[in-house]
Amino acid sequence: MSPKSPEHGPTPERVGVRAHQVGFGDCFLVSFTYAAALEDDRSERHVMIDFGSTRWPKPHKGGYVEIAREIEKRTGGKLDVLVVTHRHKDHIGGFGDEVAAAIIEGLHPSLVIRSWTEDPKAAADAEGPAPPGKHSHNFAADLHSAQALAEQISSTIPPERRGLRGDLRDLAAHQLANVDAIKFLDKLSEQADPGGLYLYAGADSTIESLIPGVAVKVLGPPTVEQWPEVTGQRSDDPEYWIARRPALARMLATAVAKPEDLRTAADAVRTDPGSVRWLVEKMRDQQAHSLLRIVTTLEDALNNTSVILSFETGTRRLLFPGDAQIENWSYCLRSDETEELRKGLEDVDLYKVGHHGSRNASPRSLLAKWQGRTLPVTSMLSTLPGVHGKSEATAVPRKTLTDALAGLGPLFRTDALAEEQLFVEVGASTNETGPYEVLS
Amino acid sequence: MGKLAFEEFTEGHPLPRTATWTVIAQDPSVRLDGAILTTRAQVPAEFLAAGPRGARFHVVDYDPATGTLEPQAELGEGDRFEGAGDGILTEDPVFRAQNVYATAARTLAAFESGLGRRLPWAFRGHQLYLVPRAFPEANAYYSGDEGAIYFGYEDSGDGGRKQACLSHDIVAHETTHAVLDGLRPRLVEPGLPDQAAFHEGFADIVALLSVFSIREVVERLLGPAHRRGRIPKDALSREVLSESALFVLAEEMGTGAGSARGSGLRRSVGLTADAHRLDDPAFSEPHRRGEILVAAVMQTLVSMWTARLEAITDAEGADRSRVAEEGMKAAEHLLRMMIRGLDYMPPVELEFADVVDSVLKADEVLAPDDAHGYRTALAEAFASFGIERPRREIVDLSGRPSPVYDRMNYEILRADTDEVFRFIWENAEVFEIDRRWRLHVDAVRPSVRVGPDGLVVAEVVADYLQTLELSAEEFAEYAGELPVGLDPKTPLQVFGGGVLIFDQFGRAKLHQTKPLTDWDRQLLRLRHLVDQGLRDSSGRIGFSLGLPRGQRFALMHVPDRRVEEDW
Repeated sequence: MSPKSPEHGPTPERVGVRAHQVGFGDCFLVSFTYAAALEDDRSERHVMIDFGSTRWPKPHKGGYVEIAREIEKRTGGKLDVLVVTHRHKDHIGGFGDEVAAAIIEGLHPSLVIRSWTEDPKAAADAEGPAPPGKHSHNFAADLHSAQALAEQISSTIPPERRGLRGDLRDLAAHQLANVDAIKFLDKLSEQADPGGLYLYAGADSTIESLIPGVAVKVLGPPTVEQWPEVTGQRSDDPEYWIARRPALARMLATAVAKPEDLRTAADAVRTDPGSVRWLVEKMRDQQAHSLLRIVTTLEDALNNTSVILSFETGTRRLLFPGDAQIENWSYCLRSDETEELRKGLEDVDLYKVGHHGSRNASPRSLLAKWQGRTLPVTSMLSTLPGVHGKSEATAVPRKTLTDALAGLGPLFRTDALAEEQLFVEVGASTNETGPYEVLS
Repeated sequence: MGKLAFEEFTEGHPLPRTATWTVIAQDPSVRLDGAILTTRAQVPAEFLAAGPRGARFHVVDYDPATGTLEPQAELGEGDRFEGAGDGILTEDPVFRAQNVYATAARTLAAFESGLGRRLPWAFRGHQLYLVPRAFPEANAYYSGDEGAIYFGYEDSGDGGRKQACLSHDIVAHETTHAVLDGLRPRLVEPGLPDQAAFHEGFADIVALLSVFSIREVVERLLGPAHRRGRIPKDALSREVLSESALFVLAEEMGTGAGSARGSGLRRSVGLTADAHRLDDPAFSEPHRRGEILVAAVMQTLVSMWTARLEAITDAEGADRSRVAEEGMKAAEHLLRMMIRGLDYMPPVELEFADVVDSVLKADEVLAPDDAHGYRTALAEAFASFGIERPRREIVDLSGRPSPVYDRMNYEILRADTDEVFRFIWENAEVFEIDRRWRLHVDAVRPSVRVGPDGLVVAEVVADYLQTLELSAEEFAEYAGELPVGLDPKTPLQVFGGGVLIFDQFGRAKLHQTKPLTDWDRQLLRLRHLVDQGLRDSSGRIGFSLGLPRGQRFALMHVPDRRVEEDW
């Protein structure tokens, strides 16, 4: 790897990364330290990436407020960049907490970065500037409508239901629009100077103007025009399901109802007792499974709106992919148009593990770039086992992945933190290579 | 409703044994002269109630997404869809019912004629439901829980619709899952890497060979004849036929209604032979591993086809219709060989080496001479992918100390699981079975097949299973070691088992055995399960993973783009 020498301005001499204890969620703080104070008399620059959780460890010391205070302390009251990779609760839930949000607001982030799918103008302006273009705007609007579907599923299944239908309700609840958090982020974007940016692959993040000596690449998400695959196959596309909303409502009603109620419903399928009725009633479970798969497509679609950023400074290259899955990653990894974008991926030396270590958010072809080389990759994994997956084959984190990462270099996991620890922090000099050292 | 059986029967006019129904030959997207390619499938005739509902299948056309339950289809006296237009083929619910019924029946018939007996389903019941429009998703799966195959559909956005129930290969593929689950219900339990790959790989093999054994399909793939109805010699080479016929077929299967299920077939055909492929970590994932099995079978098909063509090829090439016929016959024959091997495969702990061993042995029993070199072709093709007969081949009992039959009743031994257990118990030393471990005889089934010499080969096939639950610590005492990092307190379950083949006189003649006490194999399996993180919800290893059976099959059909990237 050749050290990056910026054409002008100082280069940070150290970089540090904190993974905060948020249980099943993400909250990272990347700090760049300079040898001398910059023009505003500060000798550090800070990037906060995500702030949310869907399940806290038991027991745990801090909640959103304690973590916000810790960030306030570490940054000295000034946040340079806030990156919100995507809108799932485990990435933005903290912004919906009034007290914690007020603390973050008090850090006056200069720049708030979100995905192009979050642009408030995206849903309304179908003609929009290109890119993103018309298809992208439609896709963004469909994502919002699909969240309404999730709301319907989540509110229809009673909270006391367990098993398959309980799983369906919980997964649907995870897709709900986090209205308070989004409103807060919109407000923060308006307040910020220079403001809010909604990024797509290859766009200019403008971070370099705020953090000297750090080159930032936006590797994802692609717009629909850049990479139609980002919407997946036809039935992976939220649009497909939006058009079938009445059908899904019927499936939901059937899946949740008791068989005897189904027989007396006004629009019930009339069948005589016997083998046909037996199957029709048995298919309730199959419909619940079908809905579960459909909600999973929405989960995947939202994960695939994740902003993927790489930070390059001196000898260091850090990769933060949110929860991006292969449909998002594939643009950067495979497209003929992204050769320049993917240059340097093979030199990554710190990897924020995607989607809390799930099986489908750290593409094998990405990790393959780091296998068989001498330079270690330091991985940081924010996760809480036991939240997702009934067996280890579907569990998050996925053991085969964590084993592979551990084979590449040090792997730091928030689920390994002691009860009183609010974060794990690693750091490294930007003049050397090798694994990051633990700072706390 | 059709006539009742006694109404049809008149003295001197026995009931027909076969019925012929028009079905879609491949997929509605595959056309010839602008029309959907169809064929007339010959299936065993049976009394068909409305549905259609026969002895083994029951079609229920219920779409929960629209709340539509189509009237139970009456197929009537004969095939009324011969020559039907595309609109009818894609939209008529009666044709939809006929297509899914006849295609599934054709697939089941291939298994029943190959194995020489009726085959049970895994669930309690005789009639497998076929639901042609079960959900608005591009998927299809067999669910043993309800005893049903659910076929999905997906609107293509331009007014068209992809319907899995109209895709010959998808119906054959899913029916194969159902048949395999009945024959070998333990194969979906956590096992060796090959075992997880086998279900999907074998279903793809049956699907591909089923479609390739349709004359219309092969003729279309060959394209028009060049001169005087002939295909030039240089177009009949192994490479050209692979490229022009097999690769195109696999490609079409990957882009039709089954496209959402992935292009495993397409990748299989493109796999080049490599004796180390099985050791490649990229092929440890079950779908990818299954592709190796499919690839080996496809190589065998090409070898058999080109060998058959030698006799009909001269300097100017060969007659196109004969070339098609030989391809079709090769596919039919290979499909029968593969199916016959199933009875000889172990009910648990299956490895690809057992597949090749079982297929070869079953063929040796039926056709000792291998006059056309088919077994050689198969063994070579499998060997080129590193799959060879195992160190522990199927045991030929003829050269061994004879089991004791004195306390047996031959008649009962041919049909009764308790009597077979008694036989094993009495002769445990002969069969090298350790009496200490729990053993259960799962099934005893008669089989009657006809060899190429016209003589009947009658056998009885008995499957047994051994299980042992123990802690990892106890496992280490037997195996000598444990996978690194495994907690010694972890509860484990290990399996052994086998198949005893009895001849027409009731004497045990062959023994397929996977001893529970083969600790090298057990360690291999345990390492694999630990590496893949395959534990049940209590953290135990080797036990059922707790997913409903149907969903296990649904998960086999993960989107293609993820197969190579997921962990």
